[in-house]
This record gives sequence, C-alpha cells and structure tokens, in this order.
Amino acid sequence: MKTILNFRFWILDSRRAACATIVLLAALAATTGCQPSEPAKSDAPTSTTETTSNAATPAEPAAAKKLTIGVMPKLVGIPFFTATEKGAKEAGAELGVEVVFDGPPKNDVQLQVQMLETWIAKGFDAIAVAPNDPDAIAPVLEKARKRGIKVIAWDADAKKEARDFFVNQCTGASVAKALVDVMAEGAGPEAKYIIVTGSLTAANQNIWMAEMEKYRQEKYPNMKNLSETPKVSEEDPALATQVTADSLKAYPDLQGIFAITSVALPGASEALRKSGMADKVLLTGLTTPNSMKEYITDGTVKKFVLWNPVDLGYLAVHAAVASVKGELQPGATTFKAGRVGERSVLEGDQVILGDPIVFTKDNIAQFDF
Amino acid sequence: MRKQFGHDAALLLVLLIMVAAFSIKVEGFLDWFNILDRARYWVVPGIIAVPMTFIIATSGIDLSVASILALCGIVFGMVFQQTNVAVAICAAVIVGSCAGAINGIVIGYLRVPPLVVTLATMALFRGLAMGLSKGAPFGGYPSGFTWISQGDLFSLPIGKTPAYVPTPILALLIVVIGGALIMRRTRIGRYTEHIGENEIAARFAAINVNWFKFGIYTACGALCGVAALFHTALYATAKADTAQGLELDVIACVVVGGTRISGGRASVTGTLLGLLIIGILRYGLDMAGVKSQYIIIFVGALLIVTAVFNEWVGARGERA
Repeated sequence: MKTILNFRFWILDSRRAACATIVLLAALAATTGCQPSEPAKSDAPTSTTETTSNAATPAEPAAAKKLTIGVMPKLVGIPFFTATEKGAKEAGAELGVEVVFDGPPKNDVQLQVQMLETWIAKGFDAIAVAPNDPDAIAPVLEKARKRGIKVIAWDADAKKEARDFFVNQCTGASVAKALVDVMAEGAGPEAKYIIVTGSLTAANQNIWMAEMEKYRQEKYPNMKNLSETPKVSEEDPALATQVTADSLKAYPDLQGIFAITSVALPGASEALRKSGMADKVLLTGLTTPNSMKEYITDGTVKKFVLWNPVDLGYLAVHAAVASVKGELQPGATTFKAGRVGERSVLEGDQVILGDPIVFTKDNIAQFDF
Repeated sequence: MRKQFGHDAALLLVLLIMVAAFSIKVEGFLDWFNILDRARYWVVPGIIAVPMTFIIATSGIDLSVASILALCGIVFGMVFQQTNVAVAICAAVIVGSCAGAINGIVIGYLRVPPLVVTLATMALFRGLAMGLSKGAPFGGYPSGFTWISQGDLFSLPIGKTPAYVPTPILALLIVVIGGALIMRRTRIGRYTEHIGENEIAARFAAINVNWFKFGIYTACGALCGVAALFHTALYATAKADTAQGLELDVIACVVVGGTRISGGRASVTGTLLGLLIIGILRYGLDMAGVKSQYIIIFVGALLIVTAVFNEWVGARGERA
C-alpha cells in the first residue's frame, strides 16, 4: 500500500511539473514575446558592456552605440517629477541618448534600491537618481560605480563617495533666503512659524531647514520656530493637509507655515483654505505653479518659491552624458549644458542650476509645469 | 523519502527550464555577477520561509512575519543608537521571539484560528513599529554590521568578470540545512506532519499540540528577528514601513516548494527550491522589463496554480 501511494505521488509530481512548466513558459512567452531575442548570446555569460550595446541598438555596430541613461525621481506620479521628466526626455532627444525615466510609486528608498539593482544588471551607462535617503542608497550606488557606471545625484544629494556629481537645483542658502524673506515680508520679522517637511531623512529638505535657521538667526533674530521637529508629510497630500489642520489647532498663536516640499504646500494650502485662517496665518513654501494656481487666485497663498524642474531634469541628463563622455571631470568649475547655458560647479562636483523663482499672482500664469 | 525526492526533482526541472527559457528570451539574464548579487535579496524571505514551512505543514499560517520583521528592525535601530550592535542584535531577536510567542499563545492555547490571529498581529506589530519610530528611519550602522548582508565571501571565476558569492548566503544555508534536518530527522518534523494531517488524531496520540504550536510560532518570530538583522544590514536603514508584502513571497516559496496549504505534507528543501524559482522568476521578469508592480501578478498566479495542484495531489493521495 505504502509503495503504491509513493509511486502515485511520483507520477503526479511529474505531471505537476509538466503543467507548471507549461504555465511558466506561457507566462514567459507573453511577457517577453515583444522583446528582440538573440539566441546566440544565451549560451555564454555576456559582459555588461556588450549587453548594453545590444540592448540599446541591436542592429548598429558598436562604434555608434547609443548611451542609455537611467533617470530616477524620488517617486513618480507627482507634478514636480513629471516636470523633471519632460526636461530629461528633452535633453535625451537633443543629445541622442536613450533616457529611461522611472521610479517607485511612493518615496521609498528600498524600492529605489531594488529598481537600481535592475538598472545596474542591465548595464546602463549612467544613472541619475534623486535619493530618498543618502545613506541607504549609498551601497547600491557604490556598486554601480564599481561596475563602471557613472552616478549622478540630483534633486537631493547622496553620500559624497557614492556619486560622481550632484546636480543641485540651487544652493540651500539661496532657497532658505527666498523662503524666509517671503515670511518676514508677509508675517513680519517676529513671526511665529512651523515647518512641514517631507521626510526626516531627505537630505535636501534637511539642508534647507538648517540654512533657514541660520539665515533667520542672522537677519530676523526675533522670528520663532514653534516646533523644533518639523511636521512630517511623507510626500502624501492627504497627510500634509492633516498635519497642517492639526497644527492650526495646536498652535493658537501661529503666524506662519513653511511647507517645503512640492506635495506638502498644496496639501497645507487645502487645510488653510478650509480653516478660513488665511488672513491670520501666512503660508509659503516650495512647489510647482500648476498645483498652486487655485490657491494663489483665491488668496490662500500670496507667494511661494521654486526653481525650474524642467531645467533640473534637463541639466541632470546633460551632466550624466557629459560625465560618461569625459567632458565633465571632477574639479571642473563651470559646465555648459545646451539651452540652459553655462552653469557654475561648486566644490568640483556640484553643478548648480541657479537662483529660485518667487511665484506670485502676477507671474504664475507664465509657467506651465 | 522517495516521494520527496521525486517532488524535489520535479521542482528542479521547473527551475532549470525557467533558467533556460529566460536565458534564451532575455538579453543579459545569464550573468553570474547579476544572479549571485540578486541572491542577496532572497536571503530574508528564505530565512523566514523555513519556519513558515513548519507552520503551513500544521495547516497554520503566519501573516504577521513582515510586521514582526519591521518591528525587530526598528527595535534594533533604536537600541543600537543607545548601546552597541551586540546588545541591539540580542534585543531584536528577543523582541521577535516575544512577538512570535504572542501568536503562539493565542493560536496554541486559546485555539483561535491562525489566519485571524496573525491578520490581527500583522496590523498590531506594524502599528507598534510605526508608533515606536514615529515614521523616522534608523541608520548609521558600522560597516562590520552591514557586511553581513552587503559583503562578499569569495569570488568565483565564472563569466568574463568574476562573480562574488554574497555573505548572507551562508546564513541562509545554515537555516535551510538546520530546518531540513529537523523536518526529516527528528520527532518535531514527524509531529508537524501528523498535526497537519489530523490534529485530533495527533492529540489522541499524546502529542502536546498546544505546546507544539506555541513553539513553532515562537521560533518563527525569532527567525523573523534574525531576518530583520539581514534586512536592516542590506539597506543600512531600519524603517517601520519596510518589507510590505514580504509575507506573500514567503508563503509563495513554501507553497511552490510543495508544502500543502491545508497541512500534512512539508519539505524544507522544496521550500528552498521554491525560493529559487520565485527569485529567478522575479529577476527574469525584471530583466525583461516588466515593472515591479506587475511582477507580483505573476507571483500571485504561480501561488494559486501550485496551491491548487498541491491540494489536488494531496486529495488523490488520501483517496488511494
């Protein structure tokens, strides 16, 4: 009896294997059917460089190889990064390189790491990434550099030794100055304020907050931050609205709010409009103009600040390509990038986009991103 | 013994066919540097899949593993900031064991169905992790610690560039071999299958089912604590919202490996093969350009197909 049972199991297992195999093969055929296949390559392990050239331009000779640049935002699907994609694709078309623009659906550094692993495995020529966390992203970026891939950090910096260049939208000091000046002008030099940030690990947001504090101490010593730890909105509009609404109740003598991410400011604006306290509390911050048109028109927000994200994406791809081609070397002091022209390079490895723009009722109509 | 061998051979065949198919269809798939490097990411689900094999074999389930892992990671990070790595490691494993013990007490002694209990603790432990960390990540570990997940043991001269064998593979092998020996060579393994086949009969056979269930859920929690160390080292950061959906991968490894979801049949070596199959499937689809959001569709489909098959095979076996 026992042996019969075992034998029966064995037979069924073989059948099971056959069936599972068919399912898997069908799945494979469905997903890879549209990919160009090169059976000749499959029997030997291929080196990365070969893989890249074949993947990018299977028909052309190696000399005319098209570069592949991976551009990864902190997350996809928010207007700010959609605008940077526009600029990145524009630069890609201009320079004749393949630009792959993709990122995680939420600001999660672990998802970024997993996607970067794939890009490294595919052998991209350069990777330009906006890291959600400078430390957590460092190991995978170092691995990329070990395999000869040029690494550009943009929007937010990574650890210095993990990337070749950092494309910085503006210096932290210039952003901080613009923001604090708007606050002082609107709510007075003795304003009591709080800050709504994205996440406590985003390097750029932390630098802005440090610079804002420095500039405030110098220029407006009587201005006061009511909450030493900033309010966290995790790049989530609903959460930004909620923390702002809570803060409006929690701090009765609040006069100003800085919402320093592109998601936090529209979210905070919604909370301020609903509360009807727009004439008592001055809200400003950083975001894209399209998301703010309604709040500027109805007067909830008077002024806010941002650099041009289209130009940021454009500059990141230019820097990536120049770095692969050896035109941008560490220690450079200036860098010429297509239509944005000559840009200064600080500390030999930070390409600076420029000063931020202050958006108001009068100029917001000119911008579409 | 023979039945198990046949089963594992069948899985190995599926794995080889998958590798062959991906190699032909997907450019750059067969690169040992990439495959071995990717294996780093299979260690965490692999370590948890071993105790999960025992749990599923008793016709139980543990949905809270990813939440326990996140909680242990946060505890590790917080304790590390106050003290040092050694104390933090102990704290993480102890907290994991306690979390597993909570599952074990409610399932084993209060006899609440494991699906309900672990669904509840999945939310509970994740919530605890969120509350403790207040959403902040914990990092800043010494390179000696991150080496356990990010380091390489030695290089293999295969392919044009040398491929490195990642350090955490060693930990996975220890857990898998240990699990396989316990399953096949000790009473624990036999009791596991007995309880899964017929719990009432097992009770009549004087097996202390309550104590046994308490033990395996606690062990699962402890190994989640161990996995949390590797997970934290891999990303050099502990976060409360990490590893969401990890339980799907872990359960899929076990079920694809031939363990019946309704209990009674278990194989740790099968689970290892299941891990490799799912790992290769994910890696291959990734290289083929399928977005990660869609890859879980394939993992889910694979899970259903094999679960149905295991039940069918099991039912045929019972009738015979």
